[in-house]
Amino acid sequence: MAFLSDSAKASPTAGGEASAAPSSWQVWRYRLKVASREPTTLIGVLTALLFTYLIVVPIISIVLDAVRVQFGHERRLGKDFGDLTLYYLDRTFTSPVSVDLFWRPLFNTLSVAVGAILLSLLIGTILAWLISRTDMFGRRWFATALIVPYMLPAWTFALAWTTLFKNRTVGGQPGWFEALGWTPPDWVAYGRFPITIILALHYTPFVILLFGSALRRFDSQLEDSARILGAKRYQVAMQIILPLMRPALMSSMILIFAKCLGEFGVPYVLGLPVKFEVLSTSLFRSIASRQTGVAGVVAASIMLIGIITLMIDARLVREARRFVTIGSKGSMNRQSRLGKLRLPATGFAATIFMLSVGLPLLTLFLSTVMKLPAQFTLDNFTLDYWIGQDLHTVALQTGVLLSPDLWAAAKNTLMIVGLASVASGILGLLVGYVVIRTPVRALSVYLRQVTFLPYLVPGIAFAAAYLSLFAVPRGPMPALYGTVTILVLALMADQMPYASRAGISAMTQLGKDPEEAAQIAGAGWFRRMMSIVIPIQKGSLVTGVLLPFISGIKGLSLFVILAVPSTDVLTTYSLRLVDYHYTQAANAVVLIIAAIAYLGTLAAQKLTKTNLAEGLGS
Amino acid sequence: MPTINLRGAQKNYGVNSANAVSNLDLEIRDGEFMCLLGPSGCGKTTTLRMIAGLENLSGGEIRIGDRVVDSIFDGVFVPPEKREMGLVFQSYALWPHLTIERNTDFGLRLRKLPKAEREARVEKVMQALDIAKYRDRYPSQLSGGQQQRVALARMLAVNPGVLLLDEPLSNLDARLRLEMRAELKRLHKEFKTTIVFVTHDQWEAMTLATTIAVMNEGTLQQMGTPNDIYDRPANRFVAEFVGSPPINILSFDKKGTSDVAKEAEAYLSSRYPSLRGIGSVGIRPEALSYATRKEDVPQGNFSGKMVVTGILPTGGSWILELKSDSHTLFLTTHALPRLELGEKVRFFAPPEALHVFDKDGQRITEADKLLRSAKLN
Repeated sequence: MAFLSDSAKASPTAGGEASAAPSSWQVWRYRLKVASREPTTLIGVLTALLFTYLIVVPIISIVLDAVRVQFGHERRLGKDFGDLTLYYLDRTFTSPVSVDLFWRPLFNTLSVAVGAILLSLLIGTILAWLISRTDMFGRRWFATALIVPYMLPAWTFALAWTTLFKNRTVGGQPGWFEALGWTPPDWVAYGRFPITIILALHYTPFVILLFGSALRRFDSQLEDSARILGAKRYQVAMQIILPLMRPALMSSMILIFAKCLGEFGVPYVLGLPVKFEVLSTSLFRSIASRQTGVAGVVAASIMLIGIITLMIDARLVREARRFVTIGSKGSMNRQSRLGKLRLPATGFAATIFMLSVGLPLLTLFLSTVMKLPAQFTLDNFTLDYWIGQDLHTVALQTGVLLSPDLWAAAKNTLMIVGLASVASGILGLLVGYVVIRTPVRALSVYLRQVTFLPYLVPGIAFAAAYLSLFAVPRGPMPALYGTVTILVLALMADQMPYASRAGISAMTQLGKDPEEAAQIAGAGWFRRMMSIVIPIQKGSLVTGVLLPFISGIKGLSLFVILAVPSTDVLTTYSLRLVDYHYTQAANAVVLIIAAIAYLGTLAAQKLTKTNLAEGLGS
Repeated sequence: MPTINLRGAQKNYGVNSANAVSNLDLEIRDGEFMCLLGPSGCGKTTTLRMIAGLENLSGGEIRIGDRVVDSIFDGVFVPPEKREMGLVFQSYALWPHLTIERNTDFGLRLRKLPKAEREARVEKVMQALDIAKYRDRYPSQLSGGQQQRVALARMLAVNPGVLLLDEPLSNLDARLRLEMRAELKRLHKEFKTTIVFVTHDQWEAMTLATTIAVMNEGTLQQMGTPNDIYDRPANRFVAEFVGSPPINILSFDKKGTSDVAKEAEAYLSSRYPSLRGIGSVGIRPEALSYATRKEDVPQGNFSGKMVVTGILPTGGSWILELKSDSHTLFLTTHALPRLELGEKVRFFAPPEALHVFDKDGQRITEADKLLRSAKLN
């Protein structure tokens, strides 16, 4: 009870009724009144329902597929369609074919991922250090240039690799080395070795970004203090810098692992010829051969591994935050002088850039303007594959730019990816708004988590989940397989983690104050949205649309499962061209995709002045 | 604006969390300049936000005049946009995408006033706050003090009945803060609005307020004029929170009683035997005087012998640190102390300068009468 001195000038009296405790129905009536005064909570409930249907239900559906009798297996299992069974688990994990279905792909996935992680850590840490803490030539240029591999679809590199190293194991146009008279052995041309190298080069930007930003944030005063106390250079490195960098390193390792787990395009292009399978290709094969039960088991396993990995990452990030708090105000970034090593260091960075960007793109480009591989004579060059007409081929008798298929695919891509990106951008901002503003805490937590869920599920497994739910009509929902709708929905749901995170962080940054100030000034909810929230968040709304768009343009794993020829997009179109050995045309399409993705990323950065690191993982 | 009344107002964030504000009764009258004063986390900002309607209540009710604006019992909640108040945020919360003029104009546009009137009012308030020359700039192009004035102008433009200010001066440097204090006082006179002002700065509260409400841990400790608060603190918390250097407390608790406290206990029990249950005595540093000779100590004053251990000039006045075997006292003097460190002096204070608190830390009001009447004798 408040103590009031007898000298208090104004001494209010306690309201008699107010001091009694309110009954519970009064409390509920009041809460309802407060909550219903604005549509925030209503919108929250609606979006929560939507995402439950688009994200949670498909995942549950595919997990159920794994333990229920699937169509066509009723007689063999002696049970009815939909009954519980352990058959698929048994077949995937313990039967004689389990080695081919699960265990060898699992081993291959792990070995490729570990190899890629080690290699990219090795290259990435050196490059990150060179870029952020030394006086290497052209640091600023390299800081952007070395990130480019990540802006390009991973299987761009796979196609470049086959263009160079393809041998006589596979038919079609030979690779350049084969044409020059040297037959690359299978282990160089296909399988574990090239896949590991390519994934390592593709994901090195992760290390450069994460490790580099940790290095830049690192306060030189921490180093100086150790030096003043008498520590030698290597002691400083081992005892001060490395321990503080550990979270960033671990985090990039785990992100790369999670990405490798879901990677489909690279192992598909490079693994297939020698039957080198990873989990994602094994899942693809199970789906292609209508083994929905086994596919369910494999997809659920991939999800489980993905969820475990990213939960470890979440822990590490929390740990990293603990470290960040000791970062002081006077954060200084001092450069080491490389001295004699300045030129070699620059050479190293340039080499990596050539290997991971220059060479692959150049190879791809040259391959599209040459009739025969690796013959650098003038008469061998042609623009036919781009703009030629009446070519003497079975199909695709025009250059790819004149082919109606390309434009149909491009139109599909723009429509599907565009629609999905706009939807996820807007929904992301709405989710961000509700998560930050709703007085109902449970709703906020649920929305935040449910929209983040697809992040834990590799795209290919997510696509499989969609297939499992929407392949047949359920309730009022017609069968969606083969329609544009399923692609838009899946893509949208798959992009929600980025969209909602962008929305949440934008709303967190905005804070409550500007909106509350408008409220005080007399603006109702709708007015506040239109004249305060959306205008201020314009930039992040654009990013929230553009980033999913780029990622959708170069995405493959969702489409490869859910698209059919009539809903072909650029990525699946080029993959089909690969399958038919129209190498030049396929490479041309991939170059187009790479160009769109690259320019889109640049545009997004320009428009929003954001760092790429924030869009990491998209 | 009619009187604002909080009755038994309560706020907790979540059922199991402690009350941010508990059972608060507060009355804010028309034209008053009230300061909510307290340490950070005492619930003063929450109180302000409850008045504005940005926080809803967990218990109790709020009335403006006869109209209930927030009550769980009646199931009433009037949202902030309908309460017709002004609030200046600690962060200013200017809208970054609107110019200074549009920021100021925002509330008037919402009220759909005719254009001519809007322009006139915006002009008047921008002139009053000396920001007219920045009208086409964006908030990010202004300094902290200028932003602060825009935040004020934006609220004053709609001429609210009550202006709520949430530590608006805390982000300004010392000089600007002084200027803005004078400005606020002037605006209070000019616009005749009721002002509720949240601060943790006691001087700000003292210089600005007509009424101060001191809060701690979500409860109201004392409400009164600045002089009341300073001269007759209702409890030890208020006594110790207000005043710098802080009040000297002589605690009578059995454990760790200091020699000076024992002297005070002996002094009080010999002269005022009717006083019982004393927990502690407080003496403000400026109420203490010192003398080097015993003869200079006035009759009937509480006094004792101590050693000078520190002389701290504060510009115009000096703080003396005095030590006995087990106690340290602070004394403020405005005359240059001609003392050496280590010198023995006698401190003294008249009986009416003693603040007597009971064992729970509440002021013993009977003691005031006794100690004051002693002066008359």
